[in-house]
Order: sequence, then C-alpha cells, then structure tokens
Amino acid sequence: MNLVKQAKGNWQYLLNAMEASLLKDLLKKFPVTGDVPARITKTDTDPKAAEREKLLNESLVEHRQALKRQAMDLLNANHFKKTEQDYRFTLTSGEREILLQILNDIRVGCWVSLGKPESLEPPTTFPSALERARHNWMNLAGYFEHHLVDHG
Amino acid sequence: MATIAEPVTVPEPVIKKRTRSGDDLAPTYHVICWNDPVNLMVYVTHVFMKVFGWNQQQAEKHMMEVHEQGKSVLVREGAEKAEFYVHQLQNYKLQATMERAE
Repeated sequence: MNLVKQAKGNWQYLLNAMEASLLKDLLKKFPVTGDVPARITKTDTDPKAAEREKLLNESLVEHRQALKRQAMDLLNANHFKKTEQDYRFTLTSGEREILLQILNDIRVGCWVSLGKPESLEPPTTFPSALERARHNWMNLAGYFEHHLVDHG
Repeated sequence: MATIAEPVTVPEPVIKKRTRSGDDLAPTYHVICWNDPVNLMVYVTHVFMKVFGWNQQQAEKHMMEVHEQGKSVLVREGAEKAEFYVHQLQNYKLQATMERAE
C-alpha cells in the first residue's frame, strides 16, 4: 500500500490485489467486537462524572453505528478502482479519518478481547481459532493504519 | 481673566476588593492521554494533530510523553471543552480521560 497522490483534500493509494482484498474483508467485518464501556475519568468522584461517562458511552455507541454505515460506503466501487495489476483506492480527507477510526476500532477491540496483552507478539499457541483470527485482524488493521498515516 | 479656583478635596476613591466571578471558580480539567501497547505511535501523533490542530513537533512531544512517562497532560480546559476533547480522542480509540486540575 503506497500513497501515490494527494491533492485538494483527496488521497489516492495504490494497493496490490491481496491488500485490496484484505482491506475489504476488514471493512466488511467491522465491528469485530462488541461495545466496550469507556471511562471518562480515573479519579473524579463528582456525581457529574458519572453522568458524563454515561453520555460518553452513549455517544461512542452512536459513533460506532455511524462508522458501520461508513464502512459499507467505503466498500463502494468508486473507492476501489481496478487497474491492470493493482487497485487505486481513493479517499477524501474526511473518509481517510473515518477509515483510520474503523481500523483502530478493530485493532483496539481485538486487543481488548485478547485480554489486553502487554506484548503484541503472537503466542506460540492460540487457545482458539477466534483468538488467532483476532490477533491477525489486530495486526492487519495496524498495517493499514501505518500506511495510511506514515507517508513521510 | 482666569480666576483662581478654590481648592477642592477629592475624596479617596473606594476600591472594592475584587471578588472572583462564577467563571473563575468553575473547576478546570486536565485532558490526559494514557499509554497502552496497542495504539501505534504514528497514529497517536496523527490524532493529536487532528484533534488539537497541533503541528507535528508538538504532537510528537506529547506522544513521546505518553510513550515514555505513561501519560501526557494534553490541555487544561473547562468541563465542557475537556469533555469534548475526551469524546474526540475516544472516537479514535485513544485512552483519554479528564481529571480535575488542582
């Protein structure tokens, strides 16, 4: 995956067939995990903090539902254009941010479901096929995030 | 022809002690980003630039604080704005909280 063009708020990446297929699979799978309650504070015991936390979690649920719709939009053929050997993947700046949020939701969600391991190295054996899959999705999402952001 | 005015004693101005307004007393909050092993360093830098409008240098400075010290105080704001920033950062799945400033 390489950035080939960036102009006027549009980003164009070149993906090989394997990358395009894997990225589409990730988008179709989103969300790969359920909602994880978020904390708004670690120390504040003010009753207002509880209300703020409730609002935060409601907002995050709504945001994920919007991301799900946007993930489907990103699968649209207008974004993935087949060339002779590769795919040209085109995004606006806003869509690029959406894609980053989707990918990182997958990455962090998988990490949480794996028990928040300190090391992201794969274990020698996986207790289940689902855990193996989540480990792979976590790494795959990170791969695409890295290429979306780090183009320096 | 100018006349000489009678001297006038101007009373001492009464200066009231300034009292703090409600706004001054409103609590402020630190928006803190906490370290985790899963968010990529380039990603965290990118999110700080997007959410706070920082340049790369400032965003990287805070990202390195998170990475090396376990957390970074990103901004100090009133409740509403701090809450807004936490929502933004958590939409990107960064571990961000708002903690009451001393």
